[in-house]
This record gives sequence, C-alpha cells and structure tokens, in this order.
Amino acid sequence: MSYAEHFQEMEKGIGLAHAIAEADRCLLCYDAPCSKACPAETDPGAFIRKLRLRNITGAIRTIKDNNILGGACGVLCPTSKLCEKECSATGISRPIEIGQIQRFLVEYGWQIGFKVFERAKERKEKVAVVGSGPAGLSCAGELAKQGYQVTVFAERSEPGGVIRYGVPAYRFDKKFFKNELQDLYDLGVEFQCNTKIEGKAGVEKLLNDGYKAVFLSPGLWGTQPLIPGPQNIQGVFTSADFLVALREERYEELGKQIKGKRVAVIGGGSVAMDCVESASKLGAKDVYLVYRRSFAQMPAEEDERLEVLRLGVHFLVLNQPVDYLTESSGKVNALKLIRTQLAEPDASSRRKPVEIKGSEWELDVDFVVEAVGQKPDEAVDWSPAVKLDKKGLIVADPESGQVSSKLIFAGGDIVRGPALVVEAVQDGKVAARAIAKALSKT
Amino acid sequence: MTAKNIDLSVDFAGVKFKNPFLLSSSPVSNSAEMVAQSFEAGWGGVVFKTLASGRWPIVHPSPRMNPYHYGSTKMMGLQNVEQISDRPLKDNLLDLLYLKKNYPDHPIVASVMGFSTEDWQYVAKAAEDNGADMLELNFSCPHMTIEGSGHKVGQAFPLLEGFTEAVKKVVKIPVMAKMTPNITDITEPAMFAKKGGADAISAVNTFRGISEIGRDDWIPKPNIFGVGAESGYSGPAVKPVALHFIADMAKCKGLGLPLSGIGGIETWVDVLEYLLVGATTIQVTTGIIHYGYRIVEDMAEGLRDYMASKGINEVTDLIGKALPNLKETDHFDLERQGRAEYNYDICIGCGQCYIVCNDAAGQALEWEAEKRRPKLIEDKCLSCMVCSFVCPVPGLITFKEMPKQWQRNETAVMDPSLEKELKYERFEEVDLKT
Repeated sequence: MSYAEHFQEMEKGIGLAHAIAEADRCLLCYDAPCSKACPAETDPGAFIRKLRLRNITGAIRTIKDNNILGGACGVLCPTSKLCEKECSATGISRPIEIGQIQRFLVEYGWQIGFKVFERAKERKEKVAVVGSGPAGLSCAGELAKQGYQVTVFAERSEPGGVIRYGVPAYRFDKKFFKNELQDLYDLGVEFQCNTKIEGKAGVEKLLNDGYKAVFLSPGLWGTQPLIPGPQNIQGVFTSADFLVALREERYEELGKQIKGKRVAVIGGGSVAMDCVESASKLGAKDVYLVYRRSFAQMPAEEDERLEVLRLGVHFLVLNQPVDYLTESSGKVNALKLIRTQLAEPDASSRRKPVEIKGSEWELDVDFVVEAVGQKPDEAVDWSPAVKLDKKGLIVADPESGQVSSKLIFAGGDIVRGPALVVEAVQDGKVAARAIAKALSKT
Repeated sequence: MTAKNIDLSVDFAGVKFKNPFLLSSSPVSNSAEMVAQSFEAGWGGVVFKTLASGRWPIVHPSPRMNPYHYGSTKMMGLQNVEQISDRPLKDNLLDLLYLKKNYPDHPIVASVMGFSTEDWQYVAKAAEDNGADMLELNFSCPHMTIEGSGHKVGQAFPLLEGFTEAVKKVVKIPVMAKMTPNITDITEPAMFAKKGGADAISAVNTFRGISEIGRDDWIPKPNIFGVGAESGYSGPAVKPVALHFIADMAKCKGLGLPLSGIGGIETWVDVLEYLLVGATTIQVTTGIIHYGYRIVEDMAEGLRDYMASKGINEVTDLIGKALPNLKETDHFDLERQGRAEYNYDICIGCGQCYIVCNDAAGQALEWEAEKRRPKLIEDKCLSCMVCSFVCPVPGLITFKEMPKQWQRNETAVMDPSLEKELKYERFEEVDLKT
C-alpha cells in the first residue's frame, strides 16, 4: 500500500459561495476587533469588507501586502484564539470563519492568476536571511518588495523550515506552499538550499561576502533529552526527526517500523498530536499518547485533542516516562512509566504532576516519539556575535529584532521560543523594516 | 379562534377561488402537467401561460433568463426574455380541458394575446370554449419579439381599450386586463381597460430592466449569442414598486374593479401586504422559479395563523384595509417628533450604527472605544433611524416620540466666521398656511 496517500494533501478550503456567505454574515464592525487581534497586523475587517463589496482582488491585496505568507497563516493560524475570538458576530451566533476566508482569498488569487506584487526598482544592497521558515520568508519578502537583493539560506533541500518540514502534509501541503513561495521567487528572492550557516563564523563570512545585513531565523531544531543517559536507542525518534522523515517522504522506512506495531508518543502539545495522528495514518496497531499531566492541561488545542481521540489513540495521562527498556539488539521494546497525581500549581500555574511512589509499570512498545518541546540547535554557536539567554535563545530588541550593531537581526522561534507562525511573520516584517531603515541611512 | 375556521376563499369578478393564490402566466403555468402539480401543492387557481392563435410562430431565445443576486442571497431579481406559449394552441386547449375535468374546483384563467382584433377574438373564444373560467388579456409583456404586441399595447391606451372591447364582444366569461408597469400613472390604462369592458385588472407584469452586463464581453445578460436586450425584470426587488401600483388603482375613485396583485410575492407577509392595499387575488412566478410550488403551503399556513391571531375569519376582510392609512405626504403631523432610543444592555459592539450616523445622518453618536459601545447625543438625532436598519440586534434601537417641548439641535455650521463673505439675502417669507 502507499503510505503516501495519507500524507499528500490537506483538506480543501471553502469555496467562493461559502466565503461570500461568511462575508454577508460579517458585521463590518467599526474599528474592527478582529483586525486588532492579529500579531501580524492582518486586517480581516478590511479584507472581508472588500470581499462583501465584490472587490476580491483588493481583498487579496490587503492580505498579501501585509503578509506574504497570508495563505499559510489562513491554514495554520489558531484563529479561534486570535481574530475569531474577538469577532462581534459571536454575540449574534458564531464567529465569522476568518481563517477560512483568508485561505480562500489567497487560493482564489492563484486560481485567477492575480499577482499582488510587482518587482521594485532594484537596490544595490544585499541582505542574507538565515533560515527559511515563516520569519525568514516574511523578512525576505518585505525587503525584496523594497528592491533589496535578498538571499535566503535554507538548511534542507527545500525552503520553508518548520512549515515545510515540521508540520505534516495533511495540515499544510507542498502544493499550496509552492504557490505561496512563488511570490517570493517573483520578487527576485534567491534561495540557497542545502546550505547551513554555521554560527558566528558563518555570519561573519556573510558580512565579509558583501551582505550588508543578516537576519537570523533558524528556528528550533534541537531537542530536550527526555531521559538522561545514553541516547540513540533504536526506535526512539524526536518529534522533529519523525516529522522531518515524514516530510522527506521516507514512508517505507517509517512504515516498516510502525505499521502493525505499538507506538508511544510522549507529550501533550500540538506537535505531539501531529505525531500520534501521523503514526495512526502509517498504520500503527496501537498508538499511545503518554502525558504526565491531565487531559485538560494539554497545551494542544481542544479540537486537535478530540480529533486524535476519535482516531482511536489511547490517552495515557498522568504517566511520567522514566526509562526505555531495550532488546539485546539495542531496539526499544518497552517504555517504563510511573503514574502521577496532580498537586499544587507550579510556576506555569498548572497543577504540578507528582510521581506516585511504587507505581512504576512497563508499556510494551515498538516505536517511540518524544514530542516534549524543542530548543536551539546546540551545535550552532552564534556567540559572541549575538547574545543568548539561559535557554540558548537569541536576545533581540523587540522593537527592531536587532541583535548586534553590525546589522545582525533575528526573529521567530530562535528569539521567542516555540511560537505561532503569525508571530514569526511579524518578527520578519519588523526586522525587515529596521533593516531597510538602517540600510537607507548608509 | 383557531386557524382551522379561517376562510381563505375569495370571489374574484364573479369567479370563486378556494384561496387567493394563483400561478401567474409564465413558465410555471406552461402545461396541464405542471398546473396539476401546483393544484396538488395547494394553489387555488392558475393563469395559464399566454395562448396565441398560432398564426405567428413563437420561438424562445436561448438562454432566456438571468438572475440578480445580492451577496449570498440568490435571485433578489430575475430578468427574462421568455415569450408567450410556444406550444400549439390545440395542445394548450387540450390541457385546459384536462384541468377543467380533473380539477373542477380550481378556476382556470386563460392568458391570451392577439396581434389583431380578429386574432384576439379568435384566441379568447377558443379559450372560453375549452374550459377557461376567465380570461387575462396580456397587454404587458415587455419584450415581445413581434412588433405591435405586449406592453406596446399596454402603453397605447386606446388600442388597449379597443382590444378589450373586441374580446368582451365574443366571450361571456369575465375578462381581466394585465397592466404593464412601464408607464407613468397606472390608473390611466386601467381606466381605458374599464371603458373597454374589463371586469378586473391584474398588475403588474415585469419591469423593463438590465440585470447584469458581462464584465468580459460587455454583453447584457441573458446573453443570447452575443446580444442582450432590455427585458422583463421581476422578483422581490420589484415588490415595493409593484405594491404601489396596486394601491394607486385601489384608491382610484372611478375604477372600482377587483385587482389581482403581482410582483415579488414569496411569503404570506407579501400576500398580506397586497391584500391590505386592495388586491383580491395574487399571482406568483419568480417565487416559484426560486423555491417551487411548495411555497404556497407557507403562504396559506402563515396567513391563516396571522388571521387567527388577529381574530379575522374571512380573508376578504383584509382587502384594502391599509388604504385609509395611505395618504399623500402633506398629511403628516410635523409637530410630533421623536428620536432613536438605544438599549445598550443588549449591544454587541459592532459599531455599524456609529459609522452610518456619522456618514449618512446627524453625527448623533459618539463611540466609546474601550467599551465598544455607541453613545447617543439625543438632541442631535434626526430620527432617520438608519442606525436601526444596520443594527444586527433586533429591538436594540427603537423609535421614541419626544414631548412637544423637545428640540432637536440644528446641524452646526463649520465656520460661522465666513458670514462676512456670504452673498445672501433671505427669500421673501411665504405663509404656508394661507
């Protein structure tokens, strides 16, 4: 069978009639609250009004001019926590489907061949963007719109970073992304793929090579070891490695280890949900979601949690992984767990899980994915060119993203820690504005 | 009173209908098969699609209709270049006989059209001889492809009178004249029809209109192989205008003929309004094109329940009941004034009222940004009530009459200092009361 079938395309978005019906329902608020709720300055109040008044190309322009990844955000943004949460129509019935309208408009633009961007008069200054995730692409797009010569350095074989390699294709597929990337190519952005910029030395080389400014947005690809001690147990993946393997379409390799087998995913966030869903789609016999706190405390969105429950995933909440048990060959064959109970709230103001003495038990498993949070890649040392905080994140000026007087800027997860795509987009825009301002002075 | 005792039957120009709901002469009444279905659904009668003598071939343009959508609302209006019946006269007459035989309690009004006096008389007689209980003379089709027919007759009043008279000479059944709205004062042609002997008036046929123009080819729609034409426009969009034509005829002292109301009817509320301005029966096409014959169930049930709630037994007791309240604008009592009244407790904070009051009214609203609430400056309110039209919360904004001594603030002048540059002399005072 073809595993690939499950991982090719995401669900279709809404069509024109649905979008118009939603625009009809919109109350077209004064000082629209949705427009004030977006971290990336998206203006649904304006683009929905434009759709309502049959100015569809204008609506597309409103989205894309502000956010060159407007389509990606329409698909991936947790709108129920942002724009849709503020929607006045909730007072009548339910919020307007803003994310869906946004996605529709961007896709409609592709369908009718409407191009928002025109290439600006070229400027002589070159800018390097390190990392091709949402922050990097947003920064690159903003600068290219102003005529700067931008090169994006991508570590893997295709650009996109976390939205290309860290999200399963059924949530954000290649076809959609390719259309969105086209705007960056059309603006003259250059991509150097399979190119890793190695820390401080790499950045200095870029500056020596004539790049007048550098934007660092490598994302978070390192992982927290869950259990101290020797790593590299066969059959134990980090979520990043697992999802990258999927996005590199290594279905045969993964399928062999997962189909008909028992899989445990450790963690309670959105990434953990992506991992259990992917394991299910790969044909695992049993998928366990192991989480040390309670169901209600999981950081993943409620609908994501319910969706994987419906898939038949077994939720093992209030269980803390303690150790891996392996066969003589070194392959994992069980996960040692200890049961927990909730005590007083901890620093995160959630009730803290406390281990129940003597409650250790063993869960037989064939494959484990650790989805317990990501951190900066320790192999890459940006210092002393840039300052790092205790977690290894880059310290940047929140107003400009600047990290060094040498016109080095940074944004996205490497500055914020794990954050939303829209937040990364905003970091890219903010830094691009600051870079343009600095370069126009020189 | 329960809705069961309600009597919806009407006597219309001497013909008894079990309810006032009729199919109008159009694609929805094209054949006996269709009309039979409509009777099963509950329609009280039919105006059968216009018959002609058959001496001139009738060919339909293709395509023949185009909708006027409003946002996601489908078919606010409908434009058509539909012609009169393209079936052989004989087939139509056979269908009339079938209906008469199988649905004897459902009156058949045959719509007829001629192209000369003899032609009119020939078709009229044929319809009467084959079961028609009444005739409707089609003086009003706004897009006939044959010159000297349709609304061209309806606009040439003596011609209309002559054809009515000619038909009346050859038939015994009641004759109704169907008016075009594409005139200035509908009472004029109605009076000519009366002079010609018409027993009733139906109004209105479709309005000449242009529903849409192709944005790529600039060809008005329906696009008949590269050509568009001004043609008949109908549907809910025209209802307010059509209603006024009925009211005008109902109020016309010399006319005194029963009226059949047509134009944009879909619901029992539409029916009620037509009855209240003087219609005895109503006719529907566009509503059926949109929803099917089934809408009659909701018209009948809704009207019955409404009448029960008002303690009205006979539907005929509703006819013309709004007319005494319909006057010329010089009858208004301008001494009495009011303003909008806001119930802020149920406000959801969309602020549309604030936008329209600022841009289209008296700038009588302030906006409390933090709370996201409007605040009415009462003495600036013009009482235009547009804020209430855009407000999504029913009952939030209402009209409130103010005491006699209440004064509205006049709209402020931007820069009174410009008075020294003003070239103006007050016009001689006129005493309006004398």
